[in-house]
Amino acid sequence: MESLLYSSSLQTPAFSSQSTFLFNKSLSNPTPILPLPHPHRAKSRFEPLSCTMSHSAEAVTNPKETKLWGGRFEESVTDIVEKFTESISFDKQLYKHDIMGSKAHASMLAQQGLISLTERDSILKGLDEIERSIEAGEFVWRTDREDVHMNIEAALTDMVGEPAKKLHTARSRNDQVLTDFRLWCRDAIDRIVASIKNLQVALVKLALKNEGLIIPGYTHLQRAQPVLLQHLLLAFVEQLDRDAGRLTDCKARLNFSPLGACALAGTGLPIDRFMTSNALGFTAPMRNSIDAVSDRDFVLEFLSANSIIAVHLSRIGEEWVLWASEEFGFITPSDSVSTGSSIMPQKKNPDPMELVRGKSARVIGDLVTLLTLCKGLPLAYNRDLQEDKEPAFDSVKTVIGMLEVTAEFAQNITFNDERIRKALPAGYLDATTLADYLVKKGIPFRTSHDIVGRSVALCVSKNCQLQDLSLEDMRSLSPVFDNDVYEFLGVENAVKKFSSYGSTGLACVADQLGYWVSKLEINKS
Amino acid sequence: MSHSSEADTMPKETKLWGGRFEESVTDIVEKFTESISFDKQLYKHDIMGSKAHASMLAQQGLISTSERDSILKGLDEIERSIEAGEFVWRTDREDVHMNIEAALTDMVGEPAKKLHTARSRNDQVLTDFRLWCRDAIDRIVASIRNLQVALVKLALNNEGLIIPGYTHLQRAQPVLLQHLLLAYVEQLDRDAGRLLDCKARLNFSPLGACALAGTGLPIDRFMTSNALGFTAPMRNSIDAVSDRDFVLEFLSANSIIAVHLSRIGEEWVLWASEEFGFITPSDSVSTGSSIMPQKKNPDPMELVRGKSARVIGDLVTLLTLCKGLPLAYNRDLQEDKEPTFDSVKTIIGMLEVSAEFAQNITFNRERVRKALPAGYLDATTLADYLVKKGIPFRTSHDIVGRAVALCVSKNCQLQDLSLEDMRKLSPVFDNDVYEFLGVENAVKKFSSYGSTGLACVADQLDYWVAKLEIKK
Repeated sequence: MESLLYSSSLQTPAFSSQSTFLFNKSLSNPTPILPLPHPHRAKSRFEPLSCTMSHSAEAVTNPKETKLWGGRFEESVTDIVEKFTESISFDKQLYKHDIMGSKAHASMLAQQGLISLTERDSILKGLDEIERSIEAGEFVWRTDREDVHMNIEAALTDMVGEPAKKLHTARSRNDQVLTDFRLWCRDAIDRIVASIKNLQVALVKLALKNEGLIIPGYTHLQRAQPVLLQHLLLAFVEQLDRDAGRLTDCKARLNFSPLGACALAGTGLPIDRFMTSNALGFTAPMRNSIDAVSDRDFVLEFLSANSIIAVHLSRIGEEWVLWASEEFGFITPSDSVSTGSSIMPQKKNPDPMELVRGKSARVIGDLVTLLTLCKGLPLAYNRDLQEDKEPAFDSVKTVIGMLEVTAEFAQNITFNDERIRKALPAGYLDATTLADYLVKKGIPFRTSHDIVGRSVALCVSKNCQLQDLSLEDMRSLSPVFDNDVYEFLGVENAVKKFSSYGSTGLACVADQLGYWVSKLEINKS
Repeated sequence: MSHSSEADTMPKETKLWGGRFEESVTDIVEKFTESISFDKQLYKHDIMGSKAHASMLAQQGLISTSERDSILKGLDEIERSIEAGEFVWRTDREDVHMNIEAALTDMVGEPAKKLHTARSRNDQVLTDFRLWCRDAIDRIVASIRNLQVALVKLALNNEGLIIPGYTHLQRAQPVLLQHLLLAYVEQLDRDAGRLLDCKARLNFSPLGACALAGTGLPIDRFMTSNALGFTAPMRNSIDAVSDRDFVLEFLSANSIIAVHLSRIGEEWVLWASEEFGFITPSDSVSTGSSIMPQKKNPDPMELVRGKSARVIGDLVTLLTLCKGLPLAYNRDLQEDKEPTFDSVKTIIGMLEVSAEFAQNITFNRERVRKALPAGYLDATTLADYLVKKGIPFRTSHDIVGRAVALCVSKNCQLQDLSLEDMRKLSPVFDNDVYEFLGVENAVKKFSSYGSTGLACVADQLDYWVAKLEIKK
């Protein structure tokens, strides 16, 4: 619902602000030509009279439900405060895990004799029904019930009565929300790791489809040495593998249960933290209750890992956008992953990858938000911390989107083999291989580097390739050059000369592919 | 103008990469692009890597054993002269790698020209940097352990001291000081774990990837990898020279440590204030005011809190740096070093100072004790009392809430209410209720695993004393 601050009755005071309106030609009687809603609203927000008026109007018509924490309170919270502090608009995403946690907690309370079996069964049945109604879109989330935890508990009380009032025995929202959030993050990590594998598979398959294709490898975006396309694609596969490992380490580190820490100090009620921990698939309960409710380092670590993934994907994005350009022309994306221009009829743009590159920004931003949020907060819980969710939700949603789209794009591009091949000679990509030739003949590398450098300068002046130089020309630079030099020149020859472990040599790349096909369980058909 | 006069008077040394170049680089460009002013920090690891590389080249017959020996001796001498402060770093030699190699060539001649066989600065610098980060991680982990020990010792020195635990900076429940200090010890333990995972993931050798594609010369990547203590050589040469994710991970881990320390900083600054008055730092960790004679400020912890900003900034710098860079190597990437050096230096400083501060504070036990009753810290324990008597928690919460409101109106503590007053709120209250009231009683009532109960905290302390090998 629209904020009470912006009701139409507030337009009058803002008329006096000259800067916010365009005047028509009649200066003596200025009227707005274009409504400029935002500056208009911004001014009226600071009109105290209007704020007070709308607030009291609401209080008169809708008496508020007593909060679950309202015992010692004599006044209800103001509407403005309520809107600013609510979290239900976003934390309802945690409903599934909140219900999961509550069920485990209720079962434990029954086992420990803190509630009866019939009370437990009422609660479990009620929670099941609430979950069903949420998933059916029937459940009504209420802002005055603040957050997902109180919404669900109040709904449960509406539904089953007295037993529901025992659910929160030996529990606080502090440990409840962190249990929910850890469970949510654990599942999110699984989804991201699955998407990473999916992208790795797409890249490996792209490599398998493009056997033998040589492309220029770049440093400083200057043609450096020839590499097999497969070799370059596998570099990304390696990075993604570390990304998955980082998330898996994070998951192991976060998989400890805070449930039972209560507000911050634990409790004197005879709870069984090990039971709920096991029931929820945690490794063990956390050793220290204050740590359990205060720490968000698992979120920081998770979002850091996501940021690194995002940076990796932004680099793939940059590269493929370059490759799709007219000047590079290495790939042609299919229409299904391209977009056009509403004005320029010829345009075919690789927008998906541009957005993969661009959305890395918000993932980094999500991390910075969390770091800034946590900085300087004293123990144990502070309301600031509810701000941890939206960045985490955004980070996960964005990274999964980026991974999926990149995989889709990889499945829908064709390499322009002929064009690449024709453009390959440019750039003296075989220069380093030529230097290695001289080294093999006993010339110190520095000297070899120098000789080949001068050979390249000679080529530049003659506008030719290294392999076009006559043996006579080469011998004038170094007597060591012999007829066998031509086996090292030209990109195909140069690629064949690579042999070191991890190089772009044919055997090495075949080994790498064998490793990944096996590890990712790809059916080569 | 300064450029051309410089060019007139001092002809530039040909760069090691200058073969095809007809002109020298301008002074302005040289100054902007040099990295020697900061990357000389890598000298030790650069020399380590070069020695391993030279030994491997000799083993593979790419250089002779006497050439190798010349190189090794020359590198030793260069290392000695750097550490003695005698070595002259030259900006026109751009970076640490070319400075050392050129100096080696000046010193031993021809053999030095073979050192860079089958190597590029791309894989050279990443080898150096991974070695440097590996050592830095060890230093940070050691500092973390040191702080953990200081915190545990502070806990051991303050047995039995109860302080208010806060949520929303409102007094929540009473906790043993020891329990709170151990919460930080837990966080620091995860911090160390995160760094160790990072170290394991970065401990792979890029050496032999050369510029980006590997080489056709018969090098032995496994030999250099082993010699330098890496787990194995990296599988893909393009990955090996392009990726900085190990730096991103390292600085992320540092940022999380920084955030933890900033929270300790915030807390101790609060505790040192007149209003809280929980601790008195000794003069040795305090500073004064040049205008206000009475001032005694906990500046070290304020700076621990404040320096978290630059550590976060170092991370953001790296993320921004790497975003959108195509493979494989780009000059932008030399900008990865200064943020890393700053991050490491700052974190170690923050950890050391926090430990020092912890060793130089006294808790004002009497003052803490006198102020303890305020805040109804025993309220939740009272609610648990009702739960134990069979009242649903929500109802108990409500009853105790009203009890607190009654106390507020009477300006007294919960334990000051008469049994009669309490029974008006709920007939369930009985004489045994007073065993649950007052902070000492309340603390005794905690029993859950990980709680502030005396036995639990004693268990936690035993765990840490053993794990950190502290002699009591």
